[in-house]
Amino acid sequence: MDIFGPVLNGFGVVLEPTNLLYCLIGVVIGMLIGVLPGLGPAATIAILLPLTYGVEPVTAIIMLSGIFYGAQYGGTITSVLLRLPGEASSVVTVFDGYALARQGRAGTALGIAAIGSFFGGTVSIIGLTLLAPIVAGFALSFGPPEYTALAMLGILLVATVSNGSKIKSIIAASVGLLLATVGRDGFTGESRFTFGSLSLSDGLDFVPIAMGIFGLGEILYNLEERHNKVQAPAKVANVWPSRKDLKESSGAIGRGSVLGFFLGILPGGGATIASLAAYAMEKKRAKNPERFGRGAVEGVAAPETANNAAATSSFIPLLTLGIPANATMAIIFGALLIQGVTPGPQLVQDNPELFWGVVNSMYIGNILLLIMSIPLVGVFVKILRIRAAILAPITVLITLIGVYTINNSIFDIWLVIAFGVLGYLMKKFGFEPGPLVLAFVLGSLLEENLRRSLLLFGGDPAGFVTRPISGVLLLLFLLVVLLPLLQKAVKKSRANRSLNTAPHKEKEKETV
Amino acid sequence: MTSSSRQEAPLGTSTPHAASGTGSSAIEADPVEPLTAEQLAAEWDEERPPHAGPLANVAAGVVTALLGVAGVAMSLSMGIGTPERPEAGMWPLIISLVMAVLSVALLLFGRKTLDAEAFSSSSLQVAAGVGTLIGFVLVIGLTGFEIPTLLLTFFWLRFLGKETWRMSILLSAIVTAAFYLTFVVALSVPIPHLF
Amino acid sequence: MIKSTFSRRSVLGAGTGLALALALTACGGNVAGNSAPSDGSKFPSGPVTLTIGAAPGGSTDLIGRALAENASAGLGAPIPVVNKPGANGALATKEVGGAKADGQTLVILNASLFAITPLAVSADEAVKIEDYEVITGISQDDYVLVTNAGSGLKTMEQLTKAGKKFNFATTGVGTGSQLAQALLFKQAGIDGTDVPFDGGAPAMTALLGNQVDVATIQLAEAMPQIKAGKLNPVVVFSKERNQYLADTPTAIEAGYDVPVSQFRAVAAPKGTPEPVLEKLRAAFKTAFASEAYKAFNKQNLFTAAENDGAQVAKDWAADAAKFKELAQKYDVDLGGGK
Repeated sequence: MDIFGPVLNGFGVVLEPTNLLYCLIGVVIGMLIGVLPGLGPAATIAILLPLTYGVEPVTAIIMLSGIFYGAQYGGTITSVLLRLPGEASSVVTVFDGYALARQGRAGTALGIAAIGSFFGGTVSIIGLTLLAPIVAGFALSFGPPEYTALAMLGILLVATVSNGSKIKSIIAASVGLLLATVGRDGFTGESRFTFGSLSLSDGLDFVPIAMGIFGLGEILYNLEERHNKVQAPAKVANVWPSRKDLKESSGAIGRGSVLGFFLGILPGGGATIASLAAYAMEKKRAKNPERFGRGAVEGVAAPETANNAAATSSFIPLLTLGIPANATMAIIFGALLIQGVTPGPQLVQDNPELFWGVVNSMYIGNILLLIMSIPLVGVFVKILRIRAAILAPITVLITLIGVYTINNSIFDIWLVIAFGVLGYLMKKFGFEPGPLVLAFVLGSLLEENLRRSLLLFGGDPAGFVTRPISGVLLLLFLLVVLLPLLQKAVKKSRANRSLNTAPHKEKEKETV
Repeated sequence: MTSSSRQEAPLGTSTPHAASGTGSSAIEADPVEPLTAEQLAAEWDEERPPHAGPLANVAAGVVTALLGVAGVAMSLSMGIGTPERPEAGMWPLIISLVMAVLSVALLLFGRKTLDAEAFSSSSLQVAAGVGTLIGFVLVIGLTGFEIPTLLLTFFWLRFLGKETWRMSILLSAIVTAAFYLTFVVALSVPIPHLF
Repeated sequence: MIKSTFSRRSVLGAGTGLALALALTACGGNVAGNSAPSDGSKFPSGPVTLTIGAAPGGSTDLIGRALAENASAGLGAPIPVVNKPGANGALATKEVGGAKADGQTLVILNASLFAITPLAVSADEAVKIEDYEVITGISQDDYVLVTNAGSGLKTMEQLTKAGKKFNFATTGVGTGSQLAQALLFKQAGIDGTDVPFDGGAPAMTALLGNQVDVATIQLAEAMPQIKAGKLNPVVVFSKERNQYLADTPTAIEAGYDVPVSQFRAVAAPKGTPEPVLEKLRAAFKTAFASEAYKAFNKQNLFTAAENDGAQVAKDWAADAAKFKELAQKYDVDLGGGK
């Protein structure tokens, strides 16, 4: 099979003026929301979904993915200058980034972060380019049983790897699965949970749910926020890191890229975990670990490289298997479905322009980000002064009117409001919205393929195990279920041996 | 500052802590860096709204348990069928059962976990915000979107955002005009509009 | 819900500040409805909205847009297309059925919604053709039964003699694809399991990957793979041979009474004045005659079926009765379960 032809064609796709423009728009929006308080990339992408409706699928996804990885760059800026992480994945950057800023080396921190991000992103795109055709080679072997196993694995991983309580995550996921059953059953024609409404008979649309739970839910939650103390940002002098800084951080950038790449591929992983792991790793490796937290350049380089590498590589499971690795990918999954494109093993072959167009747009996007982020830091610092109070009504209106434009339906606006309230309540009660939305996306895929498989097997579930791919996937599923139980058992026996660390453990449990 | 970061805060603080072990205590006296990871974590923690106490999880558990039971009842009425020939209700029944069982688990084991946030007087702002949204949708079909947009923006700016009167009036007019130009003039979206 | 009944807009390309001032005077709102005289002399009194009960990109949408584009000149008014997907088009169809009968709101009808879907869903979700003024038929979209080329199965005779159980992929419950295959297999005495997919593309992928044995999909979707030699066309389900696949016999020629095609028509709410319908009919006739529209049909492998509206209504009602009778006779239940 010719591999390079489609890849080169992909560059042709990206270099079309429209796509370049949307790529630019995407990364600029991404950087902006990374800088601005309040909205994260998932919420922004959800809110902007309707605007991508009228453009070509490849253009839409180029823009949406630009928002996602652009936000990783933007989040750094507030971490370094204000000690407030713009995005969750930049939390650890605060420690050394802000320390550097206080030493008057904010520019160095931002410069290193930008270079590291570029490097990490690029490494991941190369990995994506090499890995995708291999997975795609199995495309036609993916039948209903394989999709069933994949969807189960995806939902399980996201529900268990998320931060909050596991029980709550799985409850949220089952709510998502139930929401996915609303509408006419694809096998018997029977209406389920429609309460006689014709508007519900095609099921719930993904967009109002994502826009409600992520977008409006987040806006409502922020309405309640009490702390408005934004300090004056630190001064940014020279953004070009010195040769010494580069030399010091080159190792961290290299390791961060690789670590980020692999953590990003794992469902439920992604940018946040990658940045934490990379920071911890650098600190462990360092000769003088006490430098960390006091302005070590590696302490900025490693997490920023890793979060961007992970953000990029989390596209791999989505584009090659059709399994979103995190909430943002779930929304991009939804965006693809709206555009009539089903992500999965067939995507590379059926839609090479889209696949390679999106992948290659990331090279361009990363270059754009590198070019913009260094000289434009000052501009973004100014944007920080926009008050959240002014943005809130504007984003709310974009959400409400935007969702109307998709199906020209007032009913959809009601849905957004309902799910916005649900999203807000979930946050208040400590439920992660991610598993719900993800389970909703994968829910009908799971049910349909499960029932389809059983039809094909004549009702005998043994067929799942005997087919090689689905068998392996189900084995993985079991491993994911059993591993934490094993770990817990090991931990318990250890804890029994050393009782003096018990209070500390207790505190940690709260977050598990 | 962002909700996403605050939500991650416990995670962000536990890892450097775990990785640094006792090392962080060595830099406490450092004049350049008065802020250790722990202090920062404590500061973020202070900014978090107060915990809601064990009742919140009980309430959440009861609500989801009821949802699960309702799901079971409705699924049964759709017909279950057999594993070989499942009817429409089979799959929702399985999920509803999982949900009901886990809700009971939450009631039994989750009470001690303090991961819910208490409602406060500022939660009323959220209720007011939702109220304006409902009003917005109710009148949009009758009067078009311009007047509700103007009123909603104004309300959010003046009363929820505590902007000045002048700023609120000016901005809401600008926002409404911008939406009109974008959605009606430029994009020709068939949204109900007055002008 | 509000219909876009009256608005003049979007001629404004000037600077934005100026545009706002102009917009306030030049744009009519679409909130207050205005009454039109029933003789049709004032028709069209603004853009004529064409509602499509399917998402953008599908064949119903493509047809609607091609028609709107080519008919608006003849009508002397723009024909904006509004997509309102939901319930296989029942949502949009019902909504237009309840709209003001002044010809300013039209809808694209799918024959399957009237003739086949009622076999699968409850009665209150079904739509009746008598509730619409059918302006004109549009075109016919044929289903073809295909097998994986690797199976070597090319004719109905081979299928019946194979003596095995077949898993057949359909494009969904209550579709022509499902009805046609279920009837065919029952009549041919082949033991088959109905495996519904979500549309034609996934059904075809499953066939190409040998997950299922046969599939029935729309011709335009199957054609590239048929030409590439990866799929064998076995029969088409139209009454006469399809012009784009002239070598493939129809199911009727193969000896089975299964005439199933997807027809489309354009309709207005019941009670629209005859002069208005006449104007619309003339506009669509001009569109059908245009080279651009003919090229569109050819490119998408649609066969013109531009029959008179009254005839279309009669045909579809007859089809509905026939399908109901066939389904009862051969004990075919599209509702899958039970």
